Amino acid sequence: MESSAERRIDPSVLSYIEAAQPVQELLQQVLTQVAGYSLMLMTGGKPAARPDGSLLLARQAAGRAHDDLLALPVPALAAHHHHHLSRAAESTQWAFAAADACAAADASDGERDTLSRALWSATGHLRATARLLPGFEMVDFGQACCAAHAHAATAATPR
Amino acid sequence: MSDYSIWVLEYAAVEKFPFSVMMYGPQHQGIRKLPYAYALLKGKGETILIDTGYDHVNFGKTLAEAYGVSNYHGPREVLAECGVAPEDITKVFVTHAHFDHMGAIDHFPNATFYLQKRELDKWVWALTLGSEYRFLVGGGDPADIVKAVDAAREGRMELIDGDREDVLPGIDVNLAEDTHTYGSMYVTIRNDGARDSADKWIFAGDLIYTYDNLTGLDPEDPQIVPIGLAVGSQHNLIFSSAEMLKSVGGEARRVIPIHEDRLHTMFPSRKTDAGLQVVEIALADGETSRVS
Repeated sequence: MESSAERRIDPSVLSYIEAAQPVQELLQQVLTQVAGYSLMLMTGGKPAARPDGSLLLARQAAGRAHDDLLALPVPALAAHHHHHLSRAAESTQWAFAAADACAAADASDGERDTLSRALWSATGHLRATARLLPGFEMVDFGQACCAAHAHAATAATPR
Repeated sequence: MSDYSIWVLEYAAVEKFPFSVMMYGPQHQGIRKLPYAYALLKGKGETILIDTGYDHVNFGKTLAEAYGVSNYHGPREVLAECGVAPEDITKVFVTHAHFDHMGAIDHFPNATFYLQKRELDKWVWALTLGSEYRFLVGGGDPADIVKAVDAAREGRMELIDGDREDVLPGIDVNLAEDTHTYGSMYVTIRNDGARDSADKWIFAGDLIYTYDNLTGLDPEDPQIVPIGLAVGSQHNLIFSSAEMLKSVGGEARRVIPIHEDRLHTMFPSRKTDAGLQVVEIALADGETSRVS
């Protein structure tokens, strides 16, 4: 059964949402991984696993996201959303490059600033995707303590 | 003679929260209010928070409309009830990396933050497993890690690896691994400064949601019953609860569940004009009560 939000959305956009959601999830995953790596770099810590292992996997995931992004059919009504999704993908690539620069022993404050800007750029574009269309939330509240009851409440509400 | 004044400050609430999430097992025992809160400590030249609240700008509407979170008020308004501004905060202990505990770190520009290294490590690791494992990373916001990077860039983020005594004078942290989250930590305030303190307060993060987790529901037959939401194990939650109880000599009221609505009936408290509870756990020498 369709939700009220779905009833208002053009079918071509619904198809786009369905196809784009995994791409956005992948980009969120990549953002968290590169941000986590960056945090380790800046606090002087070392990740529990191989220092660059998670970053390697994140790069592979970013590559998959890029390929999937290119393959997405984009209706005109979703062009703005796709723009932000694409910019988010570009910004994560920027963040990888900046993180590489910051991994050097003689990394400068300017390089750390660049890394921060790249991470915030990716964050901003992903937040924009969440604002523009339903289904692209940055946090999975469904597994959060505050929201563990929400599914039951929603399911019990006639649509 | 208390070294630190301690308040629990409510900043929002879910009025109707299923008890079965607060406590593993009771599936048909109704609902309770679940306050959202953080703790404020003042003493020894420091103004300290335990947890920060959530990012209302980005999630407030969703949380209000879809999840029944109501009466949100930002840290400037909430802290003002104790005469404190966000800029005054010097240290913040983040008990775990969920959105409602870590999501407002950017509101405290002069604070140094403490988070368990394992919490970050394992979150990043769990993300490599694939979307079918997303339960393991639920409740986390990627933007919170980006905020943490900014704090680290400014030398204001410290990742703690396990237990540590005297992170600040009289304040210890303990790792409770693989419990509510991979790297949850609880914070102990030895409020007389003594190593073998007779005046300890423990802030449990989400290792417990209610005192009932420490005592069970039958006063004649007490037991530890874990919360209903864990990425680790119920086993580890039970033993971390036992560890906290042992640390305070079995005096359950000294292990503070930040989401417990009954705190305001157990300690001196007042309700603000905005309908939020201010609970006074302890008052340092020379400090003015904020509830009388």
